[in-house]
Amino acid sequence: MAFDLSMPVLVVDDYNTMIRIIRNLLKQIGFQDIDDAADGSAALAKMREKKYGLVISDWNMEPMTGYELLKEVRSDPSLSKTPFIMVTAESKTENVIAAKKAGVNNYIVKPFNAQTLQSKIEAVFGE
Amino acid sequence: MGDTKIFEDLVEFLKQKRDNVTFIDIIRLAEIASQSLQAFFTTFDATVYRELREIAGYIDAMRQEMGALQANEIKNSRIPAAGQELSEIVKATENATNTIMECAETLMAADASDPAAYKALVDEKMVLIFEACSFQDITGQRIAKVVEALQHIEERVARFATAMQAKDLDGFLTESERERAERKERLLLHGPQHEGKAIGQSDVDSLLTGKTAAA
Repeated sequence: MAFDLSMPVLVVDDYNTMIRIIRNLLKQIGFQDIDDAADGSAALAKMREKKYGLVISDWNMEPMTGYELLKEVRSDPSLSKTPFIMVTAESKTENVIAAKKAGVNNYIVKPFNAQTLQSKIEAVFGE
Repeated sequence: MGDTKIFEDLVEFLKQKRDNVTFIDIIRLAEIASQSLQAFFTTFDATVYRELREIAGYIDAMRQEMGALQANEIKNSRIPAAGQELSEIVKATENATNTIMECAETLMAADASDPAAYKALVDEKMVLIFEACSFQDITGQRIAKVVEALQHIEERVARFATAMQAKDLDGFLTESERERAERKERLLLHGPQHEGKAIGQSDVDSLLTGKTAAA
């Protein structure tokens, strides 16, 4: 694999069960260093303390959404290169277009399966 | 006819008596004006009385419709009960999910070097998973109660709106409603879509790669 399984991954979701599901799927893929945050602002604080190799974020969270987090990350020179995958139930064309315009690397629609998650991560890293 | 005669007399008087107005003329004028106003007030009283009776009838009908709406019962009983059912549903699904995930995590982390012990562990966890799945029956019944409450409210509100010939006001009623709507629009918060309206993963992939336009 082109990506390093030892790289830290940040999972951002306000629903604890979803964090647990993604965490387990990432472990199955082989990732070991997995952190989580309950919204965009908590994620941003963690990203400014630790360098993550990948961010997997939900869209609809409060107070800061995943969409706002994506825009913040892309506008911060120290974070702007971080690969960012949106995993969300927001399944309207305008959401995908907005996320693409904001610089998302990939977009997964909930509900999803393990294979989709793995293939999108691989796609982000050019596999 | 009487009103017309009085009015004609008054007009005639004003036409004829331009100069040398006497005290008797003034008294005559006052008499004519008084007769005219009396007729006006008699008509006015009847009109106002009729209109007040209509308003009283409307208020009475409105009071009956408001009673039929059972707003207090909806506010104090139906809505809190529906909220409690939904809260129980969230709790039940969360508990079931946690149980199932704990089983899965235990099995994933289990040592499979001893096949007999591993098989026993799998059997034990599978039973727990089956038990946890029973939440669906209970939550289904709870959802039916919530749907029933919503239908009850819908019927009464619809009847009230029809009886009152209610027209919706444009715009938002409260500042918080306006703020929530503005946030949803600005941050594209649509939530999950119904089947047929949501785009699938392949459409998303096409949009991202720009190969094919999604529906």
